[in-house]
Amino acid sequence: MLELDDLHAGYGGAPVLKGVSLRVQEGEFVAVVGPNGAGKTTLFKTISGTVAARTGRIRFRGEDLSSVPAARRPHLGIAHVPEGRQLFPSLTVMENLEMGATTAAGRRDWAENLARVLDWFPILKERRNQLAGTLSGGQQQMVAVGRGLASSPHLLMLDEPSMGLAPAVAEFIFERLAEIRRQAGLTILLVEQRVAEALDSADRGYVLEAGRIALEGPQETLRRDDRVRQAYLGM
Amino acid sequence: MNAGIEGFLQALNAGLLLGAHYGLMCVGLSLIFGVMRVINFAHGDFMMAGMYVAFHLFALLGLGAVFGSAAGPFIAALLAAPVLFLLGYLAQRLLVSRVTGTRVGALEGEGHYAQLILTLGLSLILQSGGQILFGSVPVSIPSDISSEAWEIDLAGGDVVVFVNQARAWGAAIAVALVALLVLVITRSRLGKSLRAAADNVQAALYMGIDVDRAHRITFGLGIAITAVAGGLLASSYPFTPYVGLEYVIIMYAGVVLGGLGSTVGAFWGGLLIGVIQQCSALLLPTQLQNTAIFVVFLLVVFLRPQGLLGRVSERT
Repeated sequence: MLELDDLHAGYGGAPVLKGVSLRVQEGEFVAVVGPNGAGKTTLFKTISGTVAARTGRIRFRGEDLSSVPAARRPHLGIAHVPEGRQLFPSLTVMENLEMGATTAAGRRDWAENLARVLDWFPILKERRNQLAGTLSGGQQQMVAVGRGLASSPHLLMLDEPSMGLAPAVAEFIFERLAEIRRQAGLTILLVEQRVAEALDSADRGYVLEAGRIALEGPQETLRRDDRVRQAYLGM
Repeated sequence: MNAGIEGFLQALNAGLLLGAHYGLMCVGLSLIFGVMRVINFAHGDFMMAGMYVAFHLFALLGLGAVFGSAAGPFIAALLAAPVLFLLGYLAQRLLVSRVTGTRVGALEGEGHYAQLILTLGLSLILQSGGQILFGSVPVSIPSDISSEAWEIDLAGGDVVVFVNQARAWGAAIAVALVALLVLVITRSRLGKSLRAAADNVQAALYMGIDVDRAHRITFGLGIAITAVAGGLLASSYPFTPYVGLEYVIIMYAGVVLGGLGSTVGAFWGGLLIGVIQQCSALLLPTQLQNTAIFVVFLLVVFLRPQGLLGRVSERT
């Protein structure tokens, strides 16, 4: 579904991604883990088009994305749930979800998607008319995930959904993601610093270090790898 | 005693009617600032262009003959809106978009310096261009009712207030347009996407909202709204290509008073400016009217820097 080939990208003069190749198959849950500053967020922004690729290729469902502007990419079926949630603080919870349904598919499935999101995150039902900027961090993350789902995506990209959340809340979010995946059969690409949890939920993983893929494989293999165990799992 | 009350009520009524026009002007400016974070110094000059467009449409289309010389000037003001929308849309597409929206990341000061220079430049071009095209002799749209008034007797005829008919109709149109705009911004999908793009450009892109298009619509709409306000006043006040200078100051004061970026707040800010301006005439010489505006303005900025209706909101 998503193919990256030798992708280079960065800001101004500073390269961040130095030749990343990555595959996500239909229906897969893939995690990209790695330390701070490895380029995980830049990787997502390059896929979404808010950071331009210098060289290399991104293909999504067979289409080359190099000439597709950022605002068009969600309409192809890519939903990006960004780092730090980035809700629209002066819009209500409902309006935020509605903005997720900007795509044609999202508008078509609106009633169904809304019912599912409120079912997965019941607290949002009570908060539906509250301004998103006044929610707690965990609730904001739920809106951010719901907003992504509201576009009826083929691929859901989640950037650090656990960032800044209490462990119990983060656990709840991960548990919901697994549930959403089971029910909706979504393809998910996850970026996380919480390596153990990320590998728990994923089928396959990539370890991104200093802008390069240092390691890749099925999650069991990564969890047994000595380097991963020492550097990320604290064993 | 009655003379004092009469004078006050007269000034209050004149202030409210004029203030509603100012309010509409402020709403146009505030929309652009709220959604795009652009400080548009050329806003008054776009309004001037709108006034001349209304003036010439009135003459060219013979609106006075078709709709009568009472309604004709108002129709001309409303017809100027689509013309100015197009002008604003194109100005955004060709010029302003180079220093705003999704491209400012690479510019110094988030593009604010470049915006300042660009909109000041536009302002000069519009003023000088206006002088070349329209000359500098003051004109106004001829109206039958601009010096007609309804007489309202209060307190059993002891107190008489005159309500200018042109100003009253203009104010009613202004209030209706503000209400319509607020409805569009709060309820429609277009309005919600404009607010989303205002909150967070990057997240709006992740939703698939065409932010550049949203900005073009905003700039066109903001200018069209202010142009209508100018057009509504064009039958009461003679104007020249430099009229923008007088009003842009009033507009900025009104927008800041109401709370930057708040659409409804901008209307109340403009209304308040009108009332202060007219009421201060009771106490101060006419030349000092604008001084009173700025004294109140400074007090508000000093005591309530977020504006009268502004929210102290965090931006993510």
